[in-house]
Amino acid sequence: MTVTDAELDTLSTSHDIIAIGAAADDERRRRHGARTTFVRVADVDAAPGAPTATPASAGEIRIVGTPLTREAAIARVREVVAAAGNTPVSAFSLADLERIAAAEQVPLRTFLEELKLAGLELVAQAPFDQLRDARLAIEEVNIAGLGLARLTIDKLPTADVPALYRQIAALQHDTGVIKTFAPLPRSVNPAVPTTGYDDVRRIALARLFITNIPSIQVDWSLYGPKLAQVALTVGADDLDSVSPIDEVPEGRRRAPLEEIRRNIAAAALEPVERDGRFDAR
Amino acid sequence: MTIQQIADKVRSGGRVDAEQALRLYREAPTPLLGQLADQIRARKHPEGIVTYIIDRNVNYTNVCVARCAFCAFYRPVGSSEGYVLGFDELFRKIDETIAVGGVQLLLQGGHNPDLPIEWYEDLFKAIKARYPEFRLHALSPPEVIHLSRLSQQPVSAVLDRLIAAGMDSVPGGGAEILVDRVRKLLHCYGKASADEWLDVMRQAHRKGLRTTATMMYGTVETEEERIEHLMRLRSLQDETGGFTAFIAWSYQPEHTELAGQEATGVDYLRTLALSRIVLDNFPSLQASWVTQGGKVGQLSLAYGANDMGSVMIEENVVRAAGASYCMDEVEIVRNIEDAGFIAKRRNMHYEVLGDPIFREREVPRMLELAKARDEGDDSVPAELLNYPARSRAGKALRVVQS
Ligand code: SF4
Repeated sequence: MTVTDAELDTLSTSHDIIAIGAAADDERRRRHGARTTFVRVADVDAAPGAPTATPASAGEIRIVGTPLTREAAIARVREVVAAAGNTPVSAFSLADLERIAAAEQVPLRTFLEELKLAGLELVAQAPFDQLRDARLAIEEVNIAGLGLARLTIDKLPTADVPALYRQIAALQHDTGVIKTFAPLPRSVNPAVPTTGYDDVRRIALARLFITNIPSIQVDWSLYGPKLAQVALTVGADDLDSVSPIDEVPEGRRRAPLEEIRRNIAAAALEPVERDGRFDAR
Repeated sequence: MTIQQIADKVRSGGRVDAEQALRLYREAPTPLLGQLADQIRARKHPEGIVTYIIDRNVNYTNVCVARCAFCAFYRPVGSSEGYVLGFDELFRKIDETIAVGGVQLLLQGGHNPDLPIEWYEDLFKAIKARYPEFRLHALSPPEVIHLSRLSQQPVSAVLDRLIAAGMDSVPGGGAEILVDRVRKLLHCYGKASADEWLDVMRQAHRKGLRTTATMMYGTVETEEERIEHLMRLRSLQDETGGFTAFIAWSYQPEHTELAGQEATGVDYLRTLALSRIVLDNFPSLQASWVTQGGKVGQLSLAYGANDMGSVMIEENVVRAAGASYCMDEVEIVRNIEDAGFIAKRRNMHYEVLGDPIFREREVPRMLELAKARDEGDDSVPAELLNYPARSRAGKALRVVQS
């Protein structure tokens, strides 16, 4: 289904979220069927010398946090990659890398190539609203031989949803390397959180309008099982940030892997675990 | 009948039987269930109003002899963590409730053998004397049955005494699943069988009280038993018309003896939508944001709910089982309006009281639900001395008190 600009404008203000969600679900099933991917991610800190041990069950090891310098970023990637075995390592926000490169007056591409040389496979996220020049930065990731784990939105956009999604579709048109877009903002004012209607509308419209990005993603740990599961029924097909720790934590009754499989199945979908390279495990 | 034929029947205002309900529940796509439920909501509430109530959910005691396997809230008789709230504590809670525009207490608690019916009567009378306009939505059917057994009086007489003391309406708690096989497995058959629960409601309705009805799903019941629960409620509503609203919530497993897993968010929306379809004689359906969180709570408004429930102010039972969501009036209204509805305050009879109170006057924001008692407060109310205890532990406590 292709949604026209006029339809997108109308849908973005509609309160009929069941109709919007159903249309997005049709589109998602046309592309992916019932297949729903998820990736178990082990986070490690960006500070050099921080622990590098991660559970063997992780499908992606992600270096999180902001490195202080270019040198620190490269050193940390080397450390983590050395301990990672065959598990793909992703790291950092592209916006942070842009900033560090500018501060140290080196071309972004040089910095990215250095990270690649240190063993990095993927930049963990490209926050669209924080990048100085999203098209250029994402092209440099690609030219440096790195992958991009996901395009994200950091803050609730001030621009309306249709305008934002037009920009993102245009970005993918220009770069062609974005595999996954996570449309829900990662930083939300806790005093005024997004609503369920907001989230459903954002996900469904992303699936309906951004036809050139294969996957629409939701962050399992950030948005929680209930909303993430509902998201899978209104256009999302990929879940990020599932915990790789299999023991049942204190007070909980289900291991994360079992929990995620159960939630996907309860939404009448088929769970498929993938790794950071987007390969089924 | 195909799913489409059943859907057409619902669209044209027809009533589904148990078999048709089960087929919808099992086979209908979630958006179809949502659309059908939403059409019924719109038919019953064409003005686009979504209501909520400002009240306080107070649990007067956590001491309970029923020991339901799914409950993380109760403490056994004699437990050092057991409590009974004093009249003065309850008055303070009412003062706080009135300050934020509240109109009633939802008053429920454990089956405490050391609180005779006179304690309840005195409490209700004292509240009504101090706050004549304030409403008491009090004592679910199993509590009424407990008082009936404790006082050796029939349910009807207990209800008469409680009504005379000031009880205004009966909350629909303790229904769980109204199928005795399930109730036995959950260790809640003893507190009230399915028939006993329904009979308390029948008698309350006949005495002119309005009540709500609930369903706690997601423990050991089958899908057929969920439908049976809804059918039993529908039959009683056909008979009495006394139910104002229905509230479904998912079993919260943490820290309970039964353990297990919580039903998912999609399960909740499907169950809510099916309830709206089956309970065609119930005027209102509440969203259970307290178990589902604000987001799925708001999405409930697209799946048949026309009421956002209570601002609550305080909550102890669901919190004990691991869920702790909070929405004050500002947040509830924001969610209602964001979904395209008009937000109105109501009372327990679902009569509209007015616009949001915070738009009329300044009301403090509430970012966390209060608890029954502050941590470490193990005080024993002085007035308990006036009431004979039945348990050994209760008797010992009275001696210490005196
Ligand atoms: S659910 Fe009510 S009756 Fe059952 S154990 Fe808990 S407090 Fe007691």
